[in-house]
Amino acid sequence: MKKNCRSMLLVLLVANLIAMSAFAQSVTITGLVRNSITKNPVPSVSVVPRGSSIGTYTDEKGEFKISVEILPIQLFFSSIGYEMQEVTISNGEVETIVDFVPASSLGQEVVVSASRFAERILESPVSIERVSASTIRLAPSSSYYDIVSVLKGVDVVASSLTFKTPTTRGFSGSGSTRFNQIVDGMDNQAPGLNFSLGSVIGLTELDVESMELLPGASSVLYGPGGMNGTLIINSKDPFRYQGLSFQIKTGMMHTDSRERNISPYYNWSLRWGQKVSEKFAFKIGSELIQAQDWLADDYRNYKRLGTQGTIVPGTRETDPNYDGVNVYGDETSIDLKTRVLDAIGVQVPFWQSYISSLPASIPVSRTGYTENEVVNPNTLNFKFSGALHYKLTKKMEVILAGHLGSGNTVYTGSQRYSLKELKMAQYKLEIRSPNWFVRGYTTQENAGQSHNLTITSQLFNEEWKPSPTWYQQYGFAYINAKMAGRPDLEAHNIARGVADQGRPVSGTSQFRNIFDAVRSKPIPQGGKFLDRTDLYLAEGQYNLTSAIKVFEVIVGGSWKQYVLNSEGTLFADKVGEPIKINELGAYAQVGKEIIKNFLKLTAAGRYDKNENFEGRFTPRLTALVKLATDHNVRLSFQTAYRFPSTQQQWIDLNAGSGRLLGANIFLWNKYDLINNPGYNPSNLSERIPYKEVKPEAVTSFEVGYKSLIAKTVLIDAYTYFGTYEDFLTRRDVIQFPGGTPSTTFKGYSIVVNSPEKVKTNGWGGSIEWRLPANFIVSANVSSDKIRNVPTGFRAFFATPELRTVFSFANMGFGKEKLLGFNVNWRWQEGFFYENDFAQGDLPAFHTVDAAITLRRPKIRSLVKLGATNMLNQYYRTAVGNPSIGGLYYLSFAYNVL
Amino acid sequence: MQLHINKWFKYLAITVVGLGILSSCNKDLPLAEPIKQPEPTGSSIMETLNDPNYSFLKAAITRASSVPSATGSLSTLLADKSAVFTFFAPDDNAFRTTFALLGLPPAIGTINFFRPGELDTVLKYHLIGGEKFTSAKITPVPPALNLYLQSSFVLSPPSATLPPGLRMPVFLGKQGPVLFANNIPIVQPDIAVANGIIHKVFVLLLPPSQVLWQRIAADPDMSYLLAAVLRADEGDPAKTLESALKNPAANLTVFAPTNLAFQQLLTGQITVALIPIVTQQLIPVITQQLIAGGATQAEADAQAPALAAAQAPAIAQAQASGLASTPAVFTNPALASVLTAQTVKGIVVYHILGNRAFSVNLPPATANYPTLLNGAIATHPGVGLQATLGATGVTAATVKGAANPTASNVIINPTPAPGGSSDQHYINGVLHKIDQVLRPQ
Repeated sequence: MKKNCRSMLLVLLVANLIAMSAFAQSVTITGLVRNSITKNPVPSVSVVPRGSSIGTYTDEKGEFKISVEILPIQLFFSSIGYEMQEVTISNGEVETIVDFVPASSLGQEVVVSASRFAERILESPVSIERVSASTIRLAPSSSYYDIVSVLKGVDVVASSLTFKTPTTRGFSGSGSTRFNQIVDGMDNQAPGLNFSLGSVIGLTELDVESMELLPGASSVLYGPGGMNGTLIINSKDPFRYQGLSFQIKTGMMHTDSRERNISPYYNWSLRWGQKVSEKFAFKIGSELIQAQDWLADDYRNYKRLGTQGTIVPGTRETDPNYDGVNVYGDETSIDLKTRVLDAIGVQVPFWQSYISSLPASIPVSRTGYTENEVVNPNTLNFKFSGALHYKLTKKMEVILAGHLGSGNTVYTGSQRYSLKELKMAQYKLEIRSPNWFVRGYTTQENAGQSHNLTITSQLFNEEWKPSPTWYQQYGFAYINAKMAGRPDLEAHNIARGVADQGRPVSGTSQFRNIFDAVRSKPIPQGGKFLDRTDLYLAEGQYNLTSAIKVFEVIVGGSWKQYVLNSEGTLFADKVGEPIKINELGAYAQVGKEIIKNFLKLTAAGRYDKNENFEGRFTPRLTALVKLATDHNVRLSFQTAYRFPSTQQQWIDLNAGSGRLLGANIFLWNKYDLINNPGYNPSNLSERIPYKEVKPEAVTSFEVGYKSLIAKTVLIDAYTYFGTYEDFLTRRDVIQFPGGTPSTTFKGYSIVVNSPEKVKTNGWGGSIEWRLPANFIVSANVSSDKIRNVPTGFRAFFATPELRTVFSFANMGFGKEKLLGFNVNWRWQEGFFYENDFAQGDLPAFHTVDAAITLRRPKIRSLVKLGATNMLNQYYRTAVGNPSIGGLYYLSFAYNVL
Repeated sequence: MQLHINKWFKYLAITVVGLGILSSCNKDLPLAEPIKQPEPTGSSIMETLNDPNYSFLKAAITRASSVPSATGSLSTLLADKSAVFTFFAPDDNAFRTTFALLGLPPAIGTINFFRPGELDTVLKYHLIGGEKFTSAKITPVPPALNLYLQSSFVLSPPSATLPPGLRMPVFLGKQGPVLFANNIPIVQPDIAVANGIIHKVFVLLLPPSQVLWQRIAADPDMSYLLAAVLRADEGDPAKTLESALKNPAANLTVFAPTNLAFQQLLTGQITVALIPIVTQQLIPVITQQLIAGGATQAEADAQAPALAAAQAPAIAQAQASGLASTPAVFTNPALASVLTAQTVKGIVVYHILGNRAFSVNLPPATANYPTLLNGAIATHPGVGLQATLGATGVTAATVKGAANPTASNVIINPTPAPGGSSDQHYINGVLHKIDQVLRPQ
């Protein structure tokens, strides 16, 4: 299979290279395209001679230049948001002026990701949402990535200012592994850390041409992982979008000084696209974000019960075993009575009776540090990207592109992680033509100085004062305080004061020295996770429609290799001996309009084989029923699956409280868990034998309706039903050295498939109404539910049952229609948030984002005054994640109109 | 048209403002919720002592609190409703009884005979901090016969001889339904108050002021025991036994044989050892006497052993009695091979329990308890202890050594030294005089 794919791609490449030919035009036409109403130049307009598929684009000044063989000739001018025009050119020596007429584009946007065919969004066979560059320009969001949060059915979990994870159709959470994010054809999931880096790496805001969101199962076309959806972000073509553009965005945060003192927000971005010749163009882009991050300040007491937990009453002063959600280091807890006091009783016989009279168990945790004490609030994100585009022929283009991202941010996984000096790079080589593409890319990950806040803080405490000493001092002081007549709680607090004497204060050089030393050492000696895992992927696709004619046919395939390289600190690899995981996949799609202008059917299937798991076939069937012009019903049956993540396959990490193990049988053998299986810690009569882990799968049915009424009202609605099986989850086991329960044991967290099947269903609807005078009103509401969840089973659905967005905007008002505004009101219902890090009730919240824009066409610039969470009403998107307040900004963007 | 738009705009603006107001309803992140501690209810110990039956105690506390104390003013401690104490409260009758026993006038004014510091010390000996030791919690873990607790009377700052945290210990025991603090009966237990629990005691608990060694070294009736201890420690640079008896942090029960008991045992033991020697010494003498008296050599040889054997015990006993008549017997070179340091140590440690047992703590039926000898011979049966508790206290108590044919009697007399012989309380233990030396084998 692998060999066949490679052969096919090679043949395609060679065939197209042979077909290369030189450009041979002789007459050059120049011209200007301008808005018929405002007379402002219109950039990026496609200019194509009749009978040709190859043309050019207007530059940032609206000017174009194209060479043709003979005159007269008809040129077609087209651009989203304008009516297509055809102009006949008879004289090449006179500059052509084209007055371009704006038109409603509602429902006319072309999307590609739904079927891998270009098709009107109105005629997509599955649900899809699209965000265009113009939407990004005028959106009230501070970052293009945030715009996703107002799309129908989307949940976004914000781990920090720059680390946000969108998900659709449930199973929300930081770093969701059920939702693909693909940027210019490259999956931007960190291959070792297993979370999509979202806006941390990827395109700069000025380089985003469009975003397409596919809610629901999408593995068929985009491979394993897209169980709940796929977000596809496309960049701007330097042949089309040229010139220097930049954006300076400056704002302020923490205006109420609740979490931190008022602080500035900077977001500077730059893009330079240049068409050097008809064959060659390039672009470079860069973006820098710097701010004082939001603060995770949930100091409620969290009681951990194995892998589960619950928020309980208690503070540091009122619960000796306090473990704050966003307090780190206090996870270290022992039973003071059995581990310390009883031993003191042996050493100090005159206390023995007294100690014996104390409760049988006295759990005490060490004193932790709050997140603002251990995390540098300065969040920094630097992105750099570039691409070289070369047209080998009129139709064939080769692209060499690279995206680099680096920065500091905070991420929530099973713990909170400070991603410090994280670096990730993606490099791509792609050859494409209208009917096919071949691309190969690599993702290079470097965790830098990233560290686990819990482990680092725990080990910081150990470094400053080892627990045996700390608890010994605590124990003596506790007994002395009690014997002095102090009530139990006060005795605990006195004891803590004694044991904490000399405890380094955050911000001091003593604290920094110890903390930096601990976080710089790899886990388990320190808190740092070394990870330089790489991903290599090659894929190709061919559209055979023009050859077959009877059907629309697409075939494609991919080869993927993970190279896990953590030097043994995260995975079971060794220095110089990385672990490789190979995956192969192939897909095909056949579409046919069965009844002209009424019914189109599409069938697709994909087969993937991971070397560690049995192969999986995922089919998809879709139907588009055109009830009437611009009234379409879509039906789909989709399946998706995901192989266990690289960590779920190969992690071998001592996390302090136990060892996290991947599912690979090598690890089971390594720790003798096959010959000596672990026990269920809650039920020592149950042993957990080895069982091969299967990929997780979902089957989904969906019905949707989309219609455009009177060219001004776009309505979309859907409902779906999904069934999940073979949930990938973890469970704790304990292994006894002799195989039978005793007082000594080792703890492991292993990957298993949950036997439970759960069902989800949901619905959504949206309306967008283009009113006169450029007013736009839109609203959407969506719902996701989970059913059949067995008692005690945690599905990590973590999704509100109901959410809604209401938007009111004007794209041009005032004398010259240069002013605009956009207001989004977003609300989501409260729900019980389930996650490994923390779970609990997440209250409902509302938030208002708003922006006023002023276009300056003469200098092709846009000034925007905006605010996200304008009313500065703090909200959280996950338990344990930061509280997000208002961000107020003013931006100036040049060459973006 | 413009009017239409303005109307729309107005409605939408109102809607947006309305939604904005709604958004101000976001719930703040809940603060960590403190665990509510139960508020103390009822009177404090200090308030409870307003009862006229506690007028002596109240006066004593007031006087004790009139001077600063390193461990806190007693009246402040007892009035602190947030604190937790177990308090042994002597009522007025208890004070009067105590004064009478001490030969002092049984009047409230007697309190003024004591300096405030002395009263502070004595009364803090009645106080245990941090726990409520109700009668239900008095469940000693064997082989302990009571709960070994620390009072609020801090002996002194940590030093080479006083470990940190050492307070004058107080012992809570139970015999049937009756509770005892040390050997003092609790006449009314478990009086719950806001800041603890009060046990009303029969008399004051008077803290000891000496260690066991001081009594053993000073009591003329224990000179043999003293000599035995010294002999046992011979060759031991650490002087283990002497150190233990001097260590204020130790917790021991010493069954101290009287000098007479030692003499009786030693005389008997030495006599037995001497009889064969004396017999051998007598045979030639008697042989000569018989020949001088007319007997033939053969006749003398035949009769002398029997005659020597008959006379030897009396002579041996006389000699033994002489040897055992002084504690120096333990250092007599002639007996060095018999009374070796190890042998004597074995005997001495067999008389010491590793915990404190007042006579009231001894079981009503004989039961065996380990002694310090079990530190060397773990399987040794220990000693058999038994006491008979009468209405006025223990009327009889016995200790039986494994090799003793009969049990040794505790000489009941709980009055203070020098006359007292049972329940003699010291900082590091309790001492009971017994009338036999206990024989481990």
